[in-house]
Amino acid sequence: MKIVVAGKGGVGKTTVSGTISRALARAGNDVLALDADTNPMLGVSLGVGPEETDLLVAVRQGLETGETEHERTTDGFVERFGRDAPDGVRLVVASRIEQANPGCMCCGVSPEGLLTELDSAGKIIIGDLEAGIGTVMRLQEGHADVVLVVAQPTAKSLNIARRAVELTDDRGGRVIVVANRVRNDEDLAVIREAVGDCEMVVVPEDAAIAQADREGRAAIDVDPDAPGVKVLIELAGRLAGMAVPA
Amino acid sequence: MATAAIAATEPDSRPQRRATGLRLAVVGKGGAGKSVISATLARTLARRGHRVLALDSDTLPGLSISIGAGVTDEFPLNAAAARNEKGRWQLVKGIGAARAVQRFATDAPDGVRLLQIGKTDRRGLDPNRASHQAFYKVIHRLDDVRSLDDWVILGDLPAGPRQAAYDWAPYAQRFLLVVEPTWQSMLTARRIVRITATMRDDREFSLIVNKVTDDDDVDRVQEFLGVPLLGVVPADDAVRASERAGVALLDAAPDSPAARAIAGLAEALDAGNIER
Repeated sequence: MKIVVAGKGGVGKTTVSGTISRALARAGNDVLALDADTNPMLGVSLGVGPEETDLLVAVRQGLETGETEHERTTDGFVERFGRDAPDGVRLVVASRIEQANPGCMCCGVSPEGLLTELDSAGKIIIGDLEAGIGTVMRLQEGHADVVLVVAQPTAKSLNIARRAVELTDDRGGRVIVVANRVRNDEDLAVIREAVGDCEMVVVPEDAAIAQADREGRAAIDVDPDAPGVKVLIELAGRLAGMAVPA
Repeated sequence: MATAAIAATEPDSRPQRRATGLRLAVVGKGGAGKSVISATLARTLARRGHRVLALDSDTLPGLSISIGAGVTDEFPLNAAAARNEKGRWQLVKGIGAARAVQRFATDAPDGVRLLQIGKTDRRGLDPNRASHQAFYKVIHRLDDVRSLDDWVILGDLPAGPRQAAYDWAPYAQRFLLVVEPTWQSMLTARRIVRITATMRDDREFSLIVNKVTDDDDVDRVQEFLGVPLLGVVPADDAVRASERAGVALLDAAPDSPAARAIAGLAEALDAGNIER
């Protein structure tokens, strides 16, 4: 099964990706967390630590300076540009490389190409996408079973969320809106108005998630019972239980 | 004539700077508050008597909403660029940077002139391609526009670590680095500073710590980044409310703590009161 996470920068894509990945792994799933953001941060939300996250990104960017050798195979890619995160999640940094070798597995492949390439049989792949709608626009059937569109109650975030929902609807994909940092009914109302009757989960404003952001830790490590974290863990459970078309 | 010849053979050479107005570009992680700060700075500087050209360089919604100009579905500069016979994008004959600004910048509140790159819509980048190319070519020639010498030029850049370095603000003499006290925001800021340092050495950074609830956060961010502090903007529900409504902070809550703090930043920039 393949899940991708999209939305405006700063709305909480990485927190959602990281927390769901950890929750799925904790429940016994084989999880590959793919950081496809041009500003990779997924390691922080998985609980790998800020400096460790930057080290992994440096290995990836070493491709541009020639310090990192290229990799031809998918397994090698997961090995070379990845590391283990808590609960057995495998984190792989797949951010775009500016001077990519055309056709090279490790640097010339787009996020959507990788989602096709990586074998998801018996495992769950979670792709934390770049901010905006670039990758969502290029998604086709088979790239993702579910698109999670993360939105906050701001005009800018909802402008992007609405377009991501429309694009996914247009190609007949399944989309779930993750309404994040919701404090009150007014917040929820503006989100509902923007995305229509789309399937939605509501993550309340959560001090534990804010604390995790400030401390560079995984929210699930700060407090797995915090209200916002619990919603994400429940969402992970629902996703794991979903039937995947053969 | 001589200048034009040099520019043609050495595209990277810079003219001697004549500009007397502030030349600023705002950078940082997505969601850090770049657009709100850009918009409020631009309008405050205009209220202080400056002529201000604000540049919305983001193909995603940002500065245009926060400044109170609204987002247009049009592609603002599409008439300004066309492909030549070799398929390369060029500014249309008769439209230089000065003319493009004169013709395609629109009015924003407080007399700010706003030049927008144009937004990506559901059809993708293609419908906005000409506008995108024209915008990029125009901002690369702003230094040559004498009539803008005493203007403030302030660009709100797209989010992410590479924009400053990849020459999205060649006009900028100072990057305003907007950081909130979270690790993701701090790491992004460090990436911006490091990447920029490898590409150019003549630009200065000033740090703005945003969404601050605790003075210790400011020290923590500044220590981590080692960038001189311009100022601090407190966490403020008025910003949240104005962003939810999609209106400018200066219109919704001009006396809010955040608006007042950003006005203070404008004053410091204006007075040249900047820690180096």
